Amino acid sequence: MIKKSGIGIAALALSLLAGVMPAQADFWSDAGAKYKGVVLRGVTESTPPSNYIKDVLAPEFEKKTGIKVQIETTSWDQMYDKAIKDMEAKTGIYDMVYIEQDIIYAYLARNFLVDISKSLKDDPSLKAPEFNETHFTTFANYFKNASGDLFGIPMEAFIKVYLYRTDLFSDPKIKEAFKKETGKELAPAKTHQEYTQIAEFFTKYGKDNGTELWGTTAQAHTGHPASWYEFFESIAPTYGLYNWGIDAKNNFAASVANGGQMNSDKAKAAMKYWLHLRDIAPPESAASTWTEVGTTFAAGRVAQGLVYGENAAWIASDAEKSKVVGKVGVALPPTEPDVLKEVEAGKGYLGYYDGGAFGLPVTSKNKQAALLFLQFIGQDSVQPDWAVAAPRITNTATYDDPKVVAMDKKLNGYYTMLKDQGKLFAGAPPFPFHAQVREATTPIFYKILLGEVGPDEGLDQMAAAAEAELKNLGYRK
Amino acid sequence: MRPNTVGWLMLAPTIAILGIFGIIPFIYVLYVSFHQWNPFGASPDMIYNGANNFRRLVFDTEFLTSIAFTMKFAFFAVLSEIALGYLLAQLFMKEFPGRGFFRTIHTLPLIVAPIVVGSVWRLMTTPSIGIIPYLLKSWFGYDLNIGRDATAAFALTVIMDIWHWTPLVTLTLLAALLALPKEPFEQAQIDGANRRQIFWHVTLPMIRPAILATVFIRLMDALRTVDEVWMLTSGGPGAATRFVGLHIWKIVFPKTDYGYGAAISVIVLYLTLVMCWLLYVALVARRERKRTF
Repeated sequence: MIKKSGIGIAALALSLLAGVMPAQADFWSDAGAKYKGVVLRGVTESTPPSNYIKDVLAPEFEKKTGIKVQIETTSWDQMYDKAIKDMEAKTGIYDMVYIEQDIIYAYLARNFLVDISKSLKDDPSLKAPEFNETHFTTFANYFKNASGDLFGIPMEAFIKVYLYRTDLFSDPKIKEAFKKETGKELAPAKTHQEYTQIAEFFTKYGKDNGTELWGTTAQAHTGHPASWYEFFESIAPTYGLYNWGIDAKNNFAASVANGGQMNSDKAKAAMKYWLHLRDIAPPESAASTWTEVGTTFAAGRVAQGLVYGENAAWIASDAEKSKVVGKVGVALPPTEPDVLKEVEAGKGYLGYYDGGAFGLPVTSKNKQAALLFLQFIGQDSVQPDWAVAAPRITNTATYDDPKVVAMDKKLNGYYTMLKDQGKLFAGAPPFPFHAQVREATTPIFYKILLGEVGPDEGLDQMAAAAEAELKNLGYRK
Repeated sequence: MRPNTVGWLMLAPTIAILGIFGIIPFIYVLYVSFHQWNPFGASPDMIYNGANNFRRLVFDTEFLTSIAFTMKFAFFAVLSEIALGYLLAQLFMKEFPGRGFFRTIHTLPLIVAPIVVGSVWRLMTTPSIGIIPYLLKSWFGYDLNIGRDATAAFALTVIMDIWHWTPLVTLTLLAALLALPKEPFEQAQIDGANRRQIFWHVTLPMIRPAILATVFIRLMDALRTVDEVWMLTSGGPGAATRFVGLHIWKIVFPKTDYGYGAAISVIVLYLTLVMCWLLYVALVARRERKRTF
């Protein structure tokens, strides 16, 4: 009898559970039902993480909620062009916009974005059970305001690392030749001097042996701001020059005369170092942005280089696109001797911690549905496959997922570096005038690249142009 | 004079479209050009600043350089397109095997979007990777590097434009040539005129309106070229291919200096009108005046 009643209770409990379970497990279909037929539109840069959203996450979300998602992936310039025009003109075409880390300050200053934390607090029915803001890595802090509210769901985060060819660096003949020429062991460079020596050696080696091999990459386009970014965000910090040499606390001074650093001795030394590397890099470097630097490395044309982390995974693992699969090593960028200590002490940064988030424009006509999608891409459960497909990690739990651990091995420890040494890198300075100062100084910067003006004189002119622009914008008094 | 209601009604959609998409935006651009307005400035509001934007551009070397390069670009591109287009049109007037096929093939560039043309040319000209640097190196030992050689980059933008737009000129001139009556040519031959004289005194005057229309269209297009050049060189190296359309784009969008960008746009529109008017006076009005005397 007891047995029978026990079975009956168990059956009752099971049936009750069965009635409850689908409601919990099916948050997405329940929440999406209200917005069935809505079409969400997003615009983002065409990068591996964004393409994953477009090809995998958006269709998955659509299947679960019935809300259609159209993700437009385009070039970096066009993405900004479209997003800013839309938000500025308040047309409300886009429900999601990509916010690169360096533009967030400008977007917040213009009140372009919806406060995601507040919106979810105000309407708890929209809050997905699996979404938790505290699960993001500290990179999410770049997308928070002073009160700690989140304005963008981090969707990519990576560091610009020093990649080198393990096959070349471990080749006994090459090692011997290097030792004969320099008296040193061939190993990934820790200082600028070592890096230059290795770069010079491999460029000469390629020339002597009639192979298409050069010693270093250089993101040195003479008409695209990618070169400006490489200098100010990847090279200058390794010389101890931070925040583009602009001192926000000192009336936004850029020139040494006014208390800035843009034309300091450090800046001039960094520029000369980089120009020399550009000269011994492959010929396409003068027309290379971040994308071409990745393809140059993947084509096996260079022995080492500074490469954006978003490209590191496919370079190291995708045999359809890369000729150097399994031959890629990862290290910290080389620095001036004392800079690493300075950085480890928290007084600076080694290079660029880049990435972006998906934000919700205040002009969107489908805010609730868009909030659902943003939470969907921010859940822990979708992260591991995404991290394997594109080398980005935005949630702390992702690091320990077996798939990611396996991928980390293929990448020679890129994810471990991101986890353990990511703190040595930093995002762009918190200025709301990035594009404005960049555009005011790039014409002179390109002249330096073309040799139309010397590096010293050019940097002096750039510092003056930056200050003039900041005055024109009303930041500098 | 009776009111033509039907005529006005039929014109109404065109006038409405022109007003909404042409006149009103132009008036707004004109209005913005008298303001200082950068939404990412410390004060994002529009502030009236009189003619300061126009005064500023007179001393702006970047703007003046972009104007100079644009003029040079328009001159070489349009002149080459007219000359080549005329030669091709004459060629297509003749009977030869496969004429229909070649006529079709040669118009293909016209159906390709400018942004795609720019991308394809970029792939073809990227140093070390593109087919053009490869062939130039193998055949002539010449190292083409559009990232470093300003002259080569400029020349490539002109060649790309010629490749893209010559078919338009060919088609226009071909239509004009096909429509010409035979009698004046027969008459000239009977009078003993040679080929050069026939071209100069018969063909050219008769197809002048078609040439002029084509020059106007191509000139206006060349003066506002952006997308192809943006894809190919991004305006580089340095400022070598930063034509005025691209310069305006950079001022208005990345730099978000709306007031100054609007002022440049107004001036460029004015310059285009002046150039077209000068061309009209030089090539049409003067001739018509001569004829009336």
